[in-house]
Amino acid sequence: MEKHSSDITRRRLMKAAGALAGVAAIGGWSPARAQAGGRIVLGTWGGDYSKLLSKNIDTPLMAPKKYEVVHDIGGDPERRAKMRAEARLPRGTSDLQGLSAAQMYEMNEAGLCLPIDYAKIPNAKYVLPQMRYPYGIGHIYSGKVILYNPKLIATPPTSFADALDSRHGGKLGIIDIQYQFTMMAAALASGGSMTDYEPGKARLMACRKAGAKILPTNEAMAQALQNEEVGICIMWKARAVQWQKAGAKVETVAPKEGIPLYISGFVIPKNAPNKDAAHVWLNEMLEPSAQEAFAEDMGYNASVTNAKIPPETEKRIGFNAEERKRLIDLDYGYLAKNDTALKEWWDKTFKG
Amino acid sequence: MAAVPAARAGASGWSAAAAVAPASIIVTIGIVLPIVILFRYSLNQYTPARMMVDAFSIENYAKFLTDPFYLSVLFRTIRVAALCTAICVVLAFPMAYCLARTRSRFKNLMLMAIILPLFVGNAVRAAGWMVLFGNRGFVNSILMGLGITREPLQIMYTEFAVVVGVIAVNLPFVVLTLQAVLEGIDRAIEEAALGLGADPWRTFRHVVLPLAMPGVIAGTILSFILAMNAYATPVLLGGPTFQMMAPTVYNQFAGLSNWPFGAAMAFILMTATLLLTVTSNWLAQSRYRRALVTPINVAGK
Repeated sequence: MEKHSSDITRRRLMKAAGALAGVAAIGGWSPARAQAGGRIVLGTWGGDYSKLLSKNIDTPLMAPKKYEVVHDIGGDPERRAKMRAEARLPRGTSDLQGLSAAQMYEMNEAGLCLPIDYAKIPNAKYVLPQMRYPYGIGHIYSGKVILYNPKLIATPPTSFADALDSRHGGKLGIIDIQYQFTMMAAALASGGSMTDYEPGKARLMACRKAGAKILPTNEAMAQALQNEEVGICIMWKARAVQWQKAGAKVETVAPKEGIPLYISGFVIPKNAPNKDAAHVWLNEMLEPSAQEAFAEDMGYNASVTNAKIPPETEKRIGFNAEERKRLIDLDYGYLAKNDTALKEWWDKTFKG
Repeated sequence: MAAVPAARAGASGWSAAAAVAPASIIVTIGIVLPIVILFRYSLNQYTPARMMVDAFSIENYAKFLTDPFYLSVLFRTIRVAALCTAICVVLAFPMAYCLARTRSRFKNLMLMAIILPLFVGNAVRAAGWMVLFGNRGFVNSILMGLGITREPLQIMYTEFAVVVGVIAVNLPFVVLTLQAVLEGIDRAIEEAALGLGADPWRTFRHVVLPLAMPGVIAGTILSFILAMNAYATPVLLGGPTFQMMAPTVYNQFAGLSNWPFGAAMAFILMTATLLLTVTSNWLAQSRYRRALVTPINVAGK
């Protein structure tokens, strides 16, 4: 009897295992997946941004829906290179990639982005028109403004022409990784436009000859402002707010030539393994609670119209009615087409 | 009778092949294959939209070799690598000699002190130098505190900072390489030279140095290769304006997504390193060939 009983048990086990394997093979089913909404791999910058994505979106909004969000942290150059390298694979390794608007455009031009299915994103109806693209959605935005330390810069600047001026000598700081926006600002200050950066080059060279400091990163600039090695620079208003909170004695001025927009958002790679879940995440990203938390925590403006930003925060991070009129979007086509040439000039002539 | 040694030789050949095979396979897959792929990429063309277009063109190599900017980056890298290597060898020799000759019971501790920096990554060590070299860093605070300077000296983002950083990274490798060779030199040879009337300088120049040449050459090669390919130190201590080859190669790949030109630059860096290393090795070997052989006869071994 014992033997018989044992034999039946083994058969049953075999049958059960076979059935499980069959179902798994057909439907990609697994016990873990049955319980959870799915796993999302999200490519993002590290540091505060990644932490705040977890704090404001992944944990409060995605976890209750049984989604596990894993961050693939890295700089955008590396993540863009990865997207390109994975382009030929039928199944990529990420479901979402955090990029600037210019980079989203560039990736889409390279044929790497999935068209966004806005029907799956109910919150998309509140997105500002400038931040709604066929291939991605803007998450947060800020604008390029002038930062200056009144102790070191006696006459408050009003324009990019005032800021990017050789008379500041070594008190002017320029951030290496911000070469696109620096060249854009110099162009706007010198009669150029969003589709012609050439006129700004002579201005930048004059600043360089006068001793302007070139610092490698935003963080290095923050330190230089704090130490009063640098008295004036251009930067996102959101960063200026963060640095002011950290104790840097800097004022901000919205330049009269216009305030170039910086938009950070997300795209879904064409070969994302979990496209539906990526759309769910994008919808949660646009939730007012998440947008309000980002404005408060990081100083960036919300990309949706239904977020209720406290007036005090709005005053600190946002732009008044007059300034909003001067917000100008970039020409992403021009940037994508000319980026290599701009960077070569920057590395070889300006820094060389 | 001859069949047995032949069979033994065959068996030992097979076992040697079996022993070498795993490493050979790993090297082939992990190094040779990527290098071949990289070389193929270097012949492709770059377009901003498609990144890489299949081609068989040497235009990337031509672009590098005809552009004064890229050539200046290469020559700057060679200059820094040569300077760092020379300083490393000069600094490492006395340290290695003392370590090799000491009979102190703290010898192992001294060796650990040399090895200890290798436990810390290059980037972390560079971060330490940044704390020292910053405008409000330790060095400037001391100089200004003592009234030697009024304004902070610009040490960060200079060639000096990079050279110091690279030397700090490479020095332990050179010391350990030299120390291993110096340990193997019989003390009796030096004593014989001194006993025959040679002063310490002549003993060093005509006896110790020639015998230590294998170590000097190995240390020089190691340091030179490391310095030519240094990445973290030039990025962190050299800053945006002091450009060396490895960061420039990386920038082409990651910053501009120009893989064909980045691959060509990587090959040029690799070739320049190889050529300079082989040439200097050959020169040193031929200069000291006689000296490398003679002391063995002197030692009677």
